[in-house]
Amino acid sequence: MTRSKAGNSASETKAANELALVDAVMRRDRGAFAELYRLYHPRLCGYLHRILSNAAIAEEVLDDVMFVVWKDARKYRGQAAVSSWIFGIAYRKAMTAIRKEGRYQSLLDHGADVNTLPAKASHDVELIQAALVQLSPDHRQVVELTYFSGFSYQEIATIAECPVNTIKTRMYHARRRLKYLLPILAGADEEQNFEQA
Amino acid sequence: MNKHEPMSHEQASELLPWLVNDSLAEGERDLVHEHATSCVICRRELHELENLRDSISDVSAATAIPAPDMRRINARIDALIEKENRGQLLLANVREFFRSPWRSAFAAQTALVVVLATVLLWPQADEPEFTTLTDPQKLPEGQYIRVVFEPSLPASDLSSLLDAMNLTIVDGPSDRGVYTLRLSATLSAANRDAVVTDLSANDGVVFAQPVPSGVQR
Repeated sequence: MTRSKAGNSASETKAANELALVDAVMRRDRGAFAELYRLYHPRLCGYLHRILSNAAIAEEVLDDVMFVVWKDARKYRGQAAVSSWIFGIAYRKAMTAIRKEGRYQSLLDHGADVNTLPAKASHDVELIQAALVQLSPDHRQVVELTYFSGFSYQEIATIAECPVNTIKTRMYHARRRLKYLLPILAGADEEQNFEQA
Repeated sequence: MNKHEPMSHEQASELLPWLVNDSLAEGERDLVHEHATSCVICRRELHELENLRDSISDVSAATAIPAPDMRRINARIDALIEKENRGQLLLANVREFFRSPWRSAFAAQTALVVVLATVLLWPQADEPEFTTLTDPQKLPEGQYIRVVFEPSLPASDLSSLLDAMNLTIVDGPSDRGVYTLRLSATLSAANRDAVVTDLSANDGVVFAQPVPSGVQR
């Protein structure tokens, strides 16, 4: 993902290492699986925790994701990077969990209602978290995968199994929504900022 | 996209988030940069997105990540492996059984017997039977005559004629009006020919012919 020469080399080494781990998992190597689990645990945990806003469910989904990795390692053909493959599984599992929970149904249908926004957030971290929660799951996923996980738009398209233009469009709407929400949550003059957005 | 062709505002603007997360390919990154340098809107947008990225990294750092706990997933994998092993064990046992040529031959023979028994004992649907006038028909032992009566012959006259000659209808009339008649069991082949002659002479009979003995037509 980092495009400098040194960065490219580092990411290539990382990708080769991950590929070797998946190859070993394919041969039912429990040690390699444990290493892959430990490697992806922080990234997946953070991603799922933020997307699902529930630590217990995130842990459960994470186990589901890694179980699929173990079970379906033989199906992985190297057509996408290992990270895209694993995050693709996580993306689908997260969307299923969201649908199951039904918490975001109204957001899926109508987007966030300003009247349902939480009280002013005092801190940047709370502010961002409060704003992200108001995004629809699709938009939130794109923001999450771009800013938190550092994926390129092509990788996100692979993860979400949709065209790159869809990803760009989702990001466009997510940006607009964040631009609208952040000043409101920060307590700035609502009307003035809406016009600016 | 041509590397030397400048990027439009829309194209550059939609790629800004990925310029900020440093994931654009080299050529694309240069083109977005080039546009952002000359576009006030994109420069401002880029600045805002960089701020957002920095805030998000704070959020990321603030997300509590528990230590990896593989107990549950290990238990699930153990269960899966056990299930797979059971299947493999069964397969191995089957393979082991067939490793001996005698057992293979016995199994093949048994399979053949089962197939043959199935084929032979499987209830066959009754095939429809088609017969024609020329088809051979088996008649019981006795003397027979084939007769075609005049269509205008009244039934009572036909009945009287048959009674007079000790004849019994055993088949017919066919579509062409052919009757198969049996002579009384006491009559011989010579009597049969005489009856045929009498019948042929009758005005109510169009045609009369003896039926040879054995497999009859």
